[in-house]
Amino acid sequence: MTRVMVVDDHPMWRQGVARDLAEAGYDVVATTGEGGQAVRIAPAARPDVVVLDLQLPDISGVEVIRGLLAALPGVRVLMLSASGEEQRVLDAVKAGATGYLVKSASPEEFLEAVRRTAAGDAVFTPGLAGLVLGEYRRLAKDGGPAEDDAAPRLTDRETEVLRLVAKGLSYKQIAARLTLSHRTVQNHVQNTLGKLQLHNRVELTRYAIERGLDSPD
Amino acid sequence: MAEDRAPGLASSGPRSEATRAERAGRPGPPAIEASAASTAGTFQVPLWRAIAVFRFASMAYVVVMAAFNVTDYAHPLGAIPALAVLVGWSVAAAYLYARPGWLGWPLLGTDLAVTLLLLLASPWVVGRTAIDDGVPSLAVAWEASPVLAWAVSGGRRRGVIAALIVGAAEVTVRPDLAPASNTGLMLMLLAGVAVGHVARLAVESEQRLQRAVELEASTRERERLARGIHDSVLQVLALVQRRAAHLDGEAAELARLAGEQEAALRALVSGRTPRQRAGPEVDLREILDGFASPAVSIAAPATPVRLPASTAHEVGAAVGAALDNAARHGGGEARAWVLLEEEGGTVTVSVRDDGPGIPAGRLAEAARQGRLGVAQSIQGRIADLGGTVEIISAPGEGTEVELRLKVTA
Repeated sequence: MTRVMVVDDHPMWRQGVARDLAEAGYDVVATTGEGGQAVRIAPAARPDVVVLDLQLPDISGVEVIRGLLAALPGVRVLMLSASGEEQRVLDAVKAGATGYLVKSASPEEFLEAVRRTAAGDAVFTPGLAGLVLGEYRRLAKDGGPAEDDAAPRLTDRETEVLRLVAKGLSYKQIAARLTLSHRTVQNHVQNTLGKLQLHNRVELTRYAIERGLDSPD
Repeated sequence: MAEDRAPGLASSGPRSEATRAERAGRPGPPAIEASAASTAGTFQVPLWRAIAVFRFASMAYVVVMAAFNVTDYAHPLGAIPALAVLVGWSVAAAYLYARPGWLGWPLLGTDLAVTLLLLLASPWVVGRTAIDDGVPSLAVAWEASPVLAWAVSGGRRRGVIAALIVGAAEVTVRPDLAPASNTGLMLMLLAGVAVGHVARLAVESEQRLQRAVELEASTRERERLARGIHDSVLQVLALVQRRAAHLDGEAAELARLAGEQEAALRALVSGRTPRQRAGPEVDLREILDGFASPAVSIAAPATPVRLPASTAHEVGAAVGAALDNAARHGGGEARAWVLLEEEGGTVTVSVRDDGPGIPAGRLAEAARQGRLGVAQSIQGRIADLGGTVEIISAPGEGTEVELRLKVTA
């Protein structure tokens, strides 16, 4: 049974989501409205999937995700967010969330997203695909020649797949159009996230080292 | 469902806050329009203080000069009441000018009148011959105080008027315009202009600061309200939509309506609040976001895509035409996706729908028949901007319109 933790600061939402999950046969191991608490109880609750609202009263979504991944390295994070929070969604993805859904999604879409997140798939909305595409292009542009090696790049195929996701095609439709297997399409999408997260970790480490070396003490 | 926090529309908090915000957000016209005389701003306090210092210093100078020259005076006893008025008014003026409630025409007028009185009394007290010999008047230097006060209270023009009045009185007292007194008059005039200018600047900067503070307060208040609405109304609307979506008939309709209202309200409160609209460029994302709905998904980068305003609005109109077309031919069920990209100086907007698609040759046929359709409306607009349009469609496959535009980065 897949273990799920629900983190959302609105009680009505939290309980609605928890009930939907329980009815669909998931084991809801914890629910909380605070990011800090989520990070603290994660080691005891040991969820496989965390359903996380990005807008929490105490700490940022990025901090929650970092904390969760530090406590439980294998945990999968499906984030929910309202529309119009592009930068926050992008930051959360870079911090390690693997799925994204807008809050207005139907219960069916939501349960499908949880199932796929638990299975280890990246759950993309068209909006997220647009954000990720934009982020690669920003990195390519801002990175400059000096950091050529550092800036992650998409292969042509990955770009093609991401653009189709952003235009609302399902993986099945994409597979048919590009004559690829469903699994291959999934892998391409996954890779685009993986590279971005790896780059983010490298950047963080580099930043930490630079700060460490630069500081006088 | 036990609530540990009530979705708080019912509480009176937000409503009274809103009224307060309205009150705070409205720039009080009286405060800003009122003349400088009635609102002695905090920025002016140092100026008044400086005038008071000048008034006392020049008063001391007059007294010392009188003590030195009293033997030459025509009516030495007359100097006693004159100096009493001088000292008395110096103290009174310093006190009254420091109180904003007193600042007005009566005070300014009295100040000027006292100065004129002392000036005009000088020929009698000091004596014509003594004055012609160069003995200073009873208001020497001190006479500049009302000029400075007028300038601070009402700007350059008032400063000049006061300087001219005092100057005219000075001329009647000392008709042979010696170069020294000429210079004194010019300096007084100059002081009136300069101090008036500085005072005006102080008032203006204070008003500007005031407006900035008010704007900041109303922005903060707006953000606070947005957070409140986000936590209450929006959550409930989203919940209604989510819970009722799979029901039939009226409930499903309600769910749809709740969803639409949720999106509209969210756009209103979270809506990209006044981002720096620097110059004539606009962020194309903001225009495209206006098309977002449950049936239309908008995908865009997280960073702004800036275009000249007219270009951005033309692109928006072209996208709108493509979406209208999708809605018209796709029936109520059609969904559409908009993707905005920017790479290497090219902006690409793709609009895809899952409608019935356009049979091959249909667009060309419509154009041949002289019908202005989607092609005309979209291609015309984009061609005018120097861009290209590609329309890909097949029956049953939906339609994809891709707009490409070179932008000078």
